[in-house]
Amino acid sequence: MTKDAKKLEVDNLTVSFRTTQGLVRAVRGVSFDLDRGETLAIVGESGSGKSVTSRAIMGILANNAIIDDGRIIYEDEDLTKIREEDFHKLRGNKVGMIFQDPLSSLNPIMKIGKQVTEGMLVNGHHLKNKYKALVHPHRRKILNIKDDIKKLKVQLKKQIITLKESDKAGEIGTLKADTRRKISALKLELKAAKSNYRVKCKEAKITVKKDWQQEKAKYAEKIKNVRAKISGTDEDNKKAYRKEISLLKEQCRRYKKVTKKEAIERAVVVMDEVGIPEPIKRLKQYPFQFSGGMRQRIVIAIALTANPDLLICDEPTTALDVTIQAQILELIKKLKAERDLTVIFITHDLGVVANMADRVAVMYAGKIVEIGTAQDVFYNPKHPYTWALLSSMPDLTSKARLSAIPGTPPNMLYPPKGDAFADRNKYAMEIDFEEQPPMFKISESHYAATWLLHDNAPKNIEMPEIIQERINTMKARTKKEVSQ
Amino acid sequence: MNKTTEQPILSVRRLKQYFSSGFGKQKMVVKAVDDVSFDIYKGEVFGLVGESGCGKTTTGRSIIKLYEPTDGEVFFMGTRISAGTQSLKESIKTMRREAHKQLAELTLQEKKSIEEAQGNEAKIDAIKKDFEAQKEEVTKDRDALIKNIKRDIPNRKEDTGKPNKELMKRMQMIFQDPIASLNPRMTVKEIIAEGLRIAGEKKDKEINIQVNRVLETVGLLPEHASRYPHEFSGGQRQRIGIARALVVRPEFIIADEPISALDVSIQAQVINLLNDLRQEFGITIMFIAHDLSVVKYFSDRIGVMYYGKLVELASKDELFKNPLHPYTKSLLSAVPLPDPDYEKGRKRIKYDPTMHDYSKELPDLHEVKPGHFIYANTMELEEYKKVLK
Repeated sequence: MTKDAKKLEVDNLTVSFRTTQGLVRAVRGVSFDLDRGETLAIVGESGSGKSVTSRAIMGILANNAIIDDGRIIYEDEDLTKIREEDFHKLRGNKVGMIFQDPLSSLNPIMKIGKQVTEGMLVNGHHLKNKYKALVHPHRRKILNIKDDIKKLKVQLKKQIITLKESDKAGEIGTLKADTRRKISALKLELKAAKSNYRVKCKEAKITVKKDWQQEKAKYAEKIKNVRAKISGTDEDNKKAYRKEISLLKEQCRRYKKVTKKEAIERAVVVMDEVGIPEPIKRLKQYPFQFSGGMRQRIVIAIALTANPDLLICDEPTTALDVTIQAQILELIKKLKAERDLTVIFITHDLGVVANMADRVAVMYAGKIVEIGTAQDVFYNPKHPYTWALLSSMPDLTSKARLSAIPGTPPNMLYPPKGDAFADRNKYAMEIDFEEQPPMFKISESHYAATWLLHDNAPKNIEMPEIIQERINTMKARTKKEVSQ
Repeated sequence: MNKTTEQPILSVRRLKQYFSSGFGKQKMVVKAVDDVSFDIYKGEVFGLVGESGCGKTTTGRSIIKLYEPTDGEVFFMGTRISAGTQSLKESIKTMRREAHKQLAELTLQEKKSIEEAQGNEAKIDAIKKDFEAQKEEVTKDRDALIKNIKRDIPNRKEDTGKPNKELMKRMQMIFQDPIASLNPRMTVKEIIAEGLRIAGEKKDKEINIQVNRVLETVGLLPEHASRYPHEFSGGQRQRIGIARALVVRPEFIIADEPISALDVSIQAQVINLLNDLRQEFGITIMFIAHDLSVVKYFSDRIGVMYYGKLVELASKDELFKNPLHPYTKSLLSAVPLPDPDYEKGRKRIKYDPTMHDYSKELPDLHEVKPGHFIYANTMELEEYKKVLK
């Protein structure tokens, strides 16, 4: 892992949802970064904001969501700032996503083949894409100017309010005039940009058309040559020539767009890759004819058709049982190695996390409470919530009563003032109810947000015995295996 | 557990549950549960594991008579509560066929003997008489046997068709999905009291007392009784489901994946609750799940199912220490543990059902070791025994 190969950086991401009851603060300042080829697992109960974080990265938040603050840096671009149109290039093509329930994320009345190829066909008009690429920078210029104008207006309003408050009403007039001048200059610019855009559109249309006609002519020539050979040969040769002609025609079509044939060929390759036997036959079937594991494979195949390099898996195995789960996890690992994918893996199953993750982020009430390498979090957990999570699930060796986490997660309509976990935490101190703990550094790779790590905290609080015991047995088991 | 002396609270004998669909050429029979036998003893927790679609839920539903079993018998507290008739019908058919065969053979012999007699009238008469007597005997035997069997069919049908309310009251079920299994238009009190009313309780006062009692047992408050299910969180809803099962004071509960739809932090709460109930009231529980670590933690004995068959049955320690059937091994190797170093090096064992050679002899459930049953034929049984030694 080289430090400069950061794939994704999330910095202080804050997302809220507008509802009739008020603002639900789903994500409250999440920061992490992802190295190339790394798997980050995000763990937490439902409602902790892990899915919202991943959806923010994908840019598929619901309409009532607001990104209040923060940045998501991917390939030197801030995903929270870029436009929906620019997002089209990233979503699916660069960032793929696998959803939780394979049954509800597939269309039940659409054949599998159509669902797998749909994305390729929709995004596959090469000529249109070329045209868009030519025109896009000019269009963006217009949009930028419009944005600037809007910003100036907003700024003016704010300034007026501040001026009024500070009793400098006299300055308002000059300020207004100043801004108006700026805006009118921008408007002129906008006009020029618009006319330029129209010209550029026409030009682009012509170049693309020309290009296409040239290509078409080339193929027409070739086909003509072959046709000339047909007359006067025997039946067998004729067949071969006819085949050649149809092949040439198909190639010509492929220059224009992704044809159905091409899409299906690619779909078969990808489906083979994700381990679906007899993909050609399977393409003609409906989702209900597939078992749970196979359905999840289809969903993975759909995500892979566009060759993403960042894959977000949102609880891909929660709806599956152990044996199928193990198969799907192995598949994701294999694909990750083969395609050099960077993976964000969201789950609430700690066993799965241990299997998949290089690094683990534990989320609670919209915040990351502990982040570190898998070894850090599993062998040296520091946050009481991580302790609670680890001790609430039975192990194959555990016999004692499970220590359940009392109560329920806080209502994020009214986010708690202090540490969100304080109410359910038996180690909570007074300060936990008063103030939110910052991230304390434990080691280079390991951070946790709990006041227990503060210098003034009582030193005698250790992780519960159950976990200590379990870690000891785990270590013993690994040692034994190594010695064997 | 002293199994030999104690009478099981529930015994399942050769239970079969088939579902057929379509007619004629398109007729398909799904053998959801195929020849499953086991006993559950008083006070224990019997875990049933297997992948989804292997028939563990169907087994539970057949036992509590949500389905009519195709074949086999279910005994609850010594009384037969349901029984299928398919095997009887089949045995009648085979008996008829055999009798028919015997008769045909006799006629053939008769003809032969007559030919051998070469026109000796007296001899022929004797032969004819002799064979007639023989034939009569065969038909008589057949009719008697069939009559015997046929007499059993209405018995079985009656046992299945008319549930013994007093007895069935003692068996209750907890369902998987706490959202789908509670009627959204009924208040918690109505949901819980429904079972009581069906069981014959009519006084409102008594019902109120009972409902409040169970609400308290499962850790809810009496004032929750007037609310609707959507006002509760997932864990609380599952508690309502448990309260509904508990209100009639059952002795045996079938818990069908009660925690798989719940959040991690809530799962422990529900498991602890079930554990308390079991210790407090001595309730016997049949625990159906696919999460092996939970089953291991919670059950005393575990049965492993694969495609409608019970492939292995043993006490939990025995099963985890000496898994014999390859499917059990594969299942155990797929359990994820919260231990990164172990997980990174984990080798999953794949199970291939074609690895068994059942062409010579069909397998059955055999006892390899006291309390440890396995689905195998004699050849495999020898091998398994060798492994155990």
